[in-house]
Amino acid sequence: MISLSDVSKTYNEGRPNAVTALHGVTLDIARTGVTVFMGPSGSGKTTLLSLVGCMARPTTGRITLDGEPVSGLPERFLTELRRVKFGFVFQRFNLIRGLSVLDNVMLPAAPSGEDPKAVQARAMMRLEALGLAEKALMPVEVLSGGETQRAAIARALVNDAPVLIADEPTANLDTALTHRFLDIVAGLRDAGKTVILTSHDPRIISASAVTAVVEMRDGQMVRGRG
Amino acid sequence: MKTLRRQRALADYTLAALARRKVKNSALVGVFSLVVFLLASAMFFASALRHEADTALQGVPDLIVQHLSLGRQGMISEDRIAELESIRGVSKVRGRLWGYYYDRVVGANYTVMVPDGGAMPPPGQVIVGEGVLRARGLDWEGAPLFLSRKQGDLSRFDIAKTFDSDSALLTADLLLMNEADFRAFFSVPAGVYTDIAARVRNANELATIVDKATRIMPDERFVTRDDIARTYMKLFDWREGLMVALGAMAMLAFAIFAADKASGLSAEESREIGILKAIGWDTRDVIAMKLWEGGLVSIGAFLLGCVAAYAHVFWFGATLFAPVLKGWAVIYPDFPLAPVIDAAQLVTLFLLTVLPYAAATVVPVWRVASADPDAVMR
Amino acid sequence: MIFRTPILTLLLVSALAILVALGAAWFGQRVLRQWDLTSGSRAQLLMERRTELISTLFAMVMLAEAVALFLFVFNADRMAALFVGAMCAVGTLNVNPYGFPALYAKIGVFFAAAVWLVMDHVDRLGRDYPLTRAKYALVLAIAPLVIVAGGLELAWYLGLKTDVITSCCSKLFTPANAGISDEMAAVDPALALWALAGAQVLVLALGTFAAKTGRGHGLFALAGAVFFAVALTAMVSVIALYVYENPNHHCPFCILKPEYGYIGYAFYIPLFGATALALGLGAVAPFKRRGSLRAPLPPVLRRLTLWAMAGFAAYGAVTLYAIARSHLILFG
Repeated sequence: MISLSDVSKTYNEGRPNAVTALHGVTLDIARTGVTVFMGPSGSGKTTLLSLVGCMARPTTGRITLDGEPVSGLPERFLTELRRVKFGFVFQRFNLIRGLSVLDNVMLPAAPSGEDPKAVQARAMMRLEALGLAEKALMPVEVLSGGETQRAAIARALVNDAPVLIADEPTANLDTALTHRFLDIVAGLRDAGKTVILTSHDPRIISASAVTAVVEMRDGQMVRGRG
Repeated sequence: MKTLRRQRALADYTLAALARRKVKNSALVGVFSLVVFLLASAMFFASALRHEADTALQGVPDLIVQHLSLGRQGMISEDRIAELESIRGVSKVRGRLWGYYYDRVVGANYTVMVPDGGAMPPPGQVIVGEGVLRARGLDWEGAPLFLSRKQGDLSRFDIAKTFDSDSALLTADLLLMNEADFRAFFSVPAGVYTDIAARVRNANELATIVDKATRIMPDERFVTRDDIARTYMKLFDWREGLMVALGAMAMLAFAIFAADKASGLSAEESREIGILKAIGWDTRDVIAMKLWEGGLVSIGAFLLGCVAAYAHVFWFGATLFAPVLKGWAVIYPDFPLAPVIDAAQLVTLFLLTVLPYAAATVVPVWRVASADPDAVMR
Repeated sequence: MIFRTPILTLLLVSALAILVALGAAWFGQRVLRQWDLTSGSRAQLLMERRTELISTLFAMVMLAEAVALFLFVFNADRMAALFVGAMCAVGTLNVNPYGFPALYAKIGVFFAAAVWLVMDHVDRLGRDYPLTRAKYALVLAIAPLVIVAGGLELAWYLGLKTDVITSCCSKLFTPANAGISDEMAAVDPALALWALAGAQVLVLALGTFAAKTGRGHGLFALAGAVFFAVALTAMVSVIALYVYENPNHHCPFCILKPEYGYIGYAFYIPLFGATALALGLGAVAPFKRRGSLRAPLPPVLRRLTLWAMAGFAAYGAVTLYAIARSHLILFG
C-alpha cells in the first residue's frame, strides 16, 4: 500500500514564481492492480506521480510505502529506493540516443554494481518477452513508436521493481498499439506488479485492466473510484 | 567487488558517451594535449640539458684559479703554478690558455683553447667543433680556415680534425690551437696563462684547500667544479621554470576553456543527465561518470602530449624551444639529446596539468549532476 | 627563491588545497549549524547535494597532497646539489628554519587527510549521512593545518638562498648534536630492533583480533601509531646503518636516493599508508553501532584492517630484507 496524507507540493518555494501544483491530497494506492491518475494537463497528476515514485519530496504531508515513511528521507536514500522499487516509463520515453536498445535497458542497473552478465541476461529476457530481442543491438533511433515504448518498458522492468509507473503512456500511440500496451499492463498486473499511470485517454480509463481511477483537477483530488 | 562493478558500469557508459561526441571530445583532447606537449617539452629538454652539462662537467678540473685585476679577470702569472703545487692534496696543476674570438665574417663567437697533452694540434693546424664549420659553410674536406684578428691581418689554419657531436653542448663553437699559434695570434706574452686548473683528490678537503690558497694568493679567485655545476643547474632550472610558468598560463587558459565546456552542456547532454537521474542514478553516480569522462580525456591528452614532447625533444632536437633554453648564441649545438626522464618528472607534469583540469571541471560537473530527478517529467 | 618546476607544482597543489579547504570549512560550519536530516526543506536538499561536491573536491586535493608529499621529499633531495654542504634532503630542508616544519606540517596534513578520506568513505556507506557532522567538524580542524602547511612551504621556498652553507645528515643524526634526531640515533641498535619486533607482533595481533571480532579498532589504531614511532626510531637507530653498510650513517632520507635503489620508498610507502589507514579505522570505529552502518560497515572495517596489517608487515619484511642483504655486521 502506498499512502499519501495531506500532501502538497510547491515548486520554486519562496520565490516569486512559486507554483503550488498539489493541495492537500490524501490517497491510498493498492499494491495489487492498475491505478490511473486522470485529469486535464495542469491538474497535478504528473506531480502526484513523481511524488509517489519518490522522485521528489512533498513540501508538506506524509507519504508511506508499505508502512515505511518515505517523504522525509534524504535524497540519497530516495534514489536507492526508487531504483529498487520503481520502474519508470516517461511520456516521451526518454531513451538515450546513440546507445543500443540493450545498453539503454541496462542503464538503471549501472549504479547498483551487479554482475553485468546477470543484468544483461535479465535485460535480454525482458526484451524477449516484449518481442524486441532481434533489435537489442540496434541504436534506439531506428525503432518505431511502439517499439520505443516497449524498449522503455523493458528498461523500467530491468531492476525487477515491483511498481511500474508510466506518465501518459498512450499519448503518442494509435489504437492498435494502445491495445497492445494494455495487454502488457494486464500481464504485469497478473504477474503481481503494481502499475500506476497518468492519462486523459478514455481508452485507458475504461480499460478492463484498470482497477482504480483517481480524478484530479487544479491540484486537488476530485474523485476516486475502485 | 560491488564498488568495482559499479565503476565498471559507469566507465562503460562513459566510453559509449565519449564515442558519441567525437568532435567535441577530440577537440578537448587536442587542445589539452597541446598544453601538455608544451610543458613536457620544456621539462624534458631542460632535464636533458642538465644531464648533458653533468656529463660535460665530469671533464672539468676540480679547481680553477683566476687572476683578478680591478675586479676583472686578467692573465695569471705562471709563478702561481708552483705556489699551488706546494699545497698538500693538490695535484696536476697546469696553466690554461683560452679565450673568445669574434668572427666578423659570420658574426659568431668561437671559444679558442689550447688543449693540454695529446690533443694538441701541430703548428698551423686547428681542431674545430662542428658548429664552426657550419657557421663558415666549410663543408668540404680539407678546406682551410682563415681567421683575421684585425684589418689586413689574415692567418691561415688547416683543419686537423673535427669534433664529433657527442659532447656538442661544449664543443660546438670550440677551436683548438697550438700553444705557439695561440700566443702569436692573440699576442699573449710568454709566462702568463688565462687561468690555472688543478685537481683535488679528496672532495671533502676542497674547502680547506681553497682557504689555504686564498691566504697564499689573496689576489686570485678560486672556482670549484661544484660552483660551476650549481651555476649550470640554476641557469637551466631558471630557464625551465620560466618556460613552465609560460606553459602554466596556457594551462590556466585551458582550464577556463574546459570549465566553460563542462558547464555549457548542450541541451541533448543535460537531457541525458536528467534521464539518468530519473531512472535511478544518484548525484554521485553522475559525478563519478563525469569524472571517468574527465579522467579518460586527461589520460588520453597526457599520454598524447608526453609522447609528442618526447619525439619533439629527443628525435627532432626540440626545434621549438632550443633558442630559449640553450641560450642566444648564434651557434647552437646540433646534437641528439640523450633521453633522460624520471618518474618524478612525470608525476610533476601530471600534477601540473591534470589537477587544474580536474579542479576546474568538478564544479560545473556537480552543477549538472545535481539536477532535480523529476525535471524530465515536468 | 629558486625557480624550479617541481616547486611551482608543489605551490600550485598547496594553493588549490588551501582554496578547497577554505571552501570546505565554510560549508562545514554551515553543516554544523544547519544540518537537519529530518527536514524536507529545499535548503536541506541543496545542502545534501553540496556535500557531494565538497567530498569530491576535498578527496581530489587530498589525494594530490599525498602525491605532493612524495614529490616534496624527492625534490628536496634533488635540490641538494644546489647547496654547499647538502648531500640529501636533510641539507636542503636545513637551509632555512622553515624546511623541517614544512615537512612535518605536510605529514600532518597527510594523516589528517587520510583519516578524513576513510571517514568520507564510511559516511557514504550509510544512507542517512551517519558521519557527515563529524566529517565536517574535522574539516574545520584540517583547514588551518592545510593553510599552515602551505604557508611554511612557501616560506621555505622563498628563503632558499644558494649562498647558504647548510649542514646535512652527517651532522644532524649524530649523538654529538643535541635534539630529538640525535636521541633517535643514540638508541641502542639491539633495543631498537627488539622494540620494532615487539611493536610488529603487537600491531599484527591487535589487527588480527580486530579483523576477527570486529572490535578493538581503537586499540589497533593506537598500536599503529606506536609502531609508526618505533619504526622511525629503528630506522634512524639501526636500519639505516644496515642499508648504508656504515655504522655511523643514521640518515633516514638518504635511503630515498637512487644509490640505494630507492629502497626508502619500499619502507615509507607501506608504513605511511598503513599508519594512515589505522588512524582512519580508529576514527570511524565509534560509529559502528549507527543504525545505517550496522550492516555495511563491518566488512569495510575488516578489509581496511587487513590492508593496514599488510602495510605494517611489509615494513617488517623490508627491514628483514635490508638486514639480510647488508654486509654490515652489528651483532655477534
